[in-house]
Amino acid sequence: MKKFILPLIALALPTVLSAASGIPSLDESSFQLGPAIILITILCVFVMVGVIFRAKDTTDFYAAGRSISRTGSGMAIASNWMSAASFLGMAALMYGSGYHGLAYVVGWTGGYVLLLILMAGQIRKYGKYTAADFIGDRYYSQSLRATGAVIAILISISYCVGQFAGIGLMFQWILGLEFVWSVIIGGTVVLSYTLISGMLGVTKNMQIQYVIIIISFIIPLFILTYKFDYFWILPQIGYGSVVSDITNGIAQTDISSLVNSLGHNYAITASPEYSMPWDAATGKTFFQWMAIAFSLMIGTAGLPHVIQRFYVVPKTSDARWSVVWGLFFICILYWSAPVYSAFGKILSANPEVGKLSKDAIVVYTAQLGNVHPLIVGLLAAGGVSAAFSTVSGLLVAGASAFSHDLYVKVINPEASPKKQLMMARVGTVLMAIIVTAIALLKLGLIAQLVAVAFSLAGCTIFPLFLLGIWWSGSNRQGAIASLITGGFVSLVAITYFVAGVKGFDLPGKEFVSEWLGAWFFAWIGAPLAILANIIVSKLTPETPEEIRKFLIEKVHS
Amino acid sequence: MNQENNYHISFFKPTTERAKANRKMVLWLISIWAVAVFGFHFLLRAIETPTPEPELVTFNQVWDNVKAGNASNDEIMKFAQSALHVTGKIFIDAESRAALNNGISWAVMHLADSAQKIAVKQAVIEFEVIFNSAELTDVNYISAKKNLTGIAQNIIGVKPNHVLANILPFELHAAGFDVFTAENKVLVEACMPKYMIHNRSVLTDTKFLGFPFHYFYSAVFLLILFIGLCLAYCIQTDRYNKKIGLVE
Repeated sequence: MKKFILPLIALALPTVLSAASGIPSLDESSFQLGPAIILITILCVFVMVGVIFRAKDTTDFYAAGRSISRTGSGMAIASNWMSAASFLGMAALMYGSGYHGLAYVVGWTGGYVLLLILMAGQIRKYGKYTAADFIGDRYYSQSLRATGAVIAILISISYCVGQFAGIGLMFQWILGLEFVWSVIIGGTVVLSYTLISGMLGVTKNMQIQYVIIIISFIIPLFILTYKFDYFWILPQIGYGSVVSDITNGIAQTDISSLVNSLGHNYAITASPEYSMPWDAATGKTFFQWMAIAFSLMIGTAGLPHVIQRFYVVPKTSDARWSVVWGLFFICILYWSAPVYSAFGKILSANPEVGKLSKDAIVVYTAQLGNVHPLIVGLLAAGGVSAAFSTVSGLLVAGASAFSHDLYVKVINPEASPKKQLMMARVGTVLMAIIVTAIALLKLGLIAQLVAVAFSLAGCTIFPLFLLGIWWSGSNRQGAIASLITGGFVSLVAITYFVAGVKGFDLPGKEFVSEWLGAWFFAWIGAPLAILANIIVSKLTPETPEEIRKFLIEKVHS
Repeated sequence: MNQENNYHISFFKPTTERAKANRKMVLWLISIWAVAVFGFHFLLRAIETPTPEPELVTFNQVWDNVKAGNASNDEIMKFAQSALHVTGKIFIDAESRAALNNGISWAVMHLADSAQKIAVKQAVIEFEVIFNSAELTDVNYISAKKNLTGIAQNIIGVKPNHVLANILPFELHAAGFDVFTAENKVLVEACMPKYMIHNRSVLTDTKFLGFPFHYFYSAVFLLILFIGLCLAYCIQTDRYNKKIGLVE
């Protein structure tokens, strides 16, 4: 059956190319035929791959049978990671706040260094399926296991909300549907194949998704840099001159033959605020840049669905190398995202372009740059693919926490494998419903919503893993203190954020907004949680010998 | 050794050669990582100088007189050009734009002779009506825009092919012709430095591969460095494990 996939795709492609003749429009309410056909074809491929590689038992569902290679796992890590936040959100942030957006680029890549040197190999050696499993065993507590599971679910939900918003936006652009229906339809499709395939199918899907994501993202960059006369052989370097052109301005007499798709000259007023650090015009500060970069870094090392990927490789060294491969694959996209925002700034500089949705600027830039409609369609489908790949991994992580850590380990230890699989699927459906409901509230930009999940992970899971692996003195009481501290900081920051979005005035909101913003509260929450863990662990009975022995003999041997 | 130690483990108190080697490597890598990311940005912060754009310098030279209502035509023209420059910027809030629009509209009307005043008023009203109803490709819309641009750019001294000519028709509003309100003067005074002073230094003004250096450093180099650090860790760990004959 597997041998038929590529020929099928090859057969489907010409049909798609000939049928897709619609000219994409900047209008979000019109149906775009070409992109729609490409999107539907890609989704069909995902579902087919999911069916072919479907999970046969719980080991398959949770950890892909531990049979994924280093590069395969790296590709899956990258695909899992490269969400709507990376594909759509990063360019949106740089489009909206210039150099400030690079804090997200640096934060979301720099965290992998921490993840690798502090955790990846050790987590694999610990040999648990889920983050909550690790917390429950390492801190010898069923209630901590349950708490860890709930936190993993909350993080997954928070992360998924941004993805569903991205899916909604792209479906809205392609299908011309209302945002509400776009989110519901997109969510239903991603839920379907996650349910059918489990992680084995998801992992295989992720490898295919990675290829689609990266190809669809990069092709328009070559076209844009070539068309506007920059160094096109390596657009990720060639756009340096675009950034300098925005900074210094482009007089329209210089390049009167270059125009955007609306016929406007390729010209812009000198705008140093785009490239200069923490510029007052953007409303962003030096502190926020640093706090966001730091929070995203430690959040990366604490995300359950990222940590969980290390369980799917056969050996510890594979876990380490899969991080290197994963980071390399991720960086290809992260080097490219700023190119879209830079071109987007110039191509939309004329007031006639109007106000564009920041989260869709990647697609609008390609459109304004007169890129062929089919390639723009592929780009939009890549955006959906990015969101899908991440959502599927998150739903599996959340479902694992629900069925494995909550149901099997706490509620019903005697559950049969069949019952466990059923509970995993029930958990997946519940999560998808909750995420859809929250996504419809439109609480913020995609990347910002995702950043909330990172800070939450940085305040809660990261301290437990860091100390749990590297210090045998960290005990159950310390872990509880750590979770209370990190959880409290998270609760305050998120409450103020939601209250602010909904227009409620809470006391001290200026202070919280400045120092405990929803995208970066881990800068203080994580250190405080670590400190609380250390202090309380020192004051309470030490970790049982069997745990310490396990750490030495299995994890650090 | 483990049993003597009662199976205690701490990153900062390694008890085996392998753990010591690992600690050393981790500390080195984290130091490089921290200095490269945070050290660089502290440096960027430390050496930056708030640097005004030339248009702000011009604005500051004429603003007192414009504000007091005793500016010459040349000064008003310079004010209008610097205000127009800000409206062409990529980040500008609606309140500031509205205040600047008032200033520009007032300046155009103030500088126009009596015949031009009539022509400008008519062109703006016509453009405002058609802008809200017509398609961008509508011949009447294009004609109205061209007409308004042609009249207004002569009045405030913007050259025909200058990038500011693209912006000009969108910044003129009939409601702002008569009075440059005190409220909007306050807003303009506050927003001009906000949009036209930038944190610059040798790191932002040096070009590297076409980029401002600091931008290249964060957007390109740091990512290469992160991959390099990860690669170094994996290679070193594998080498060390091989050296001591450890099979994980």
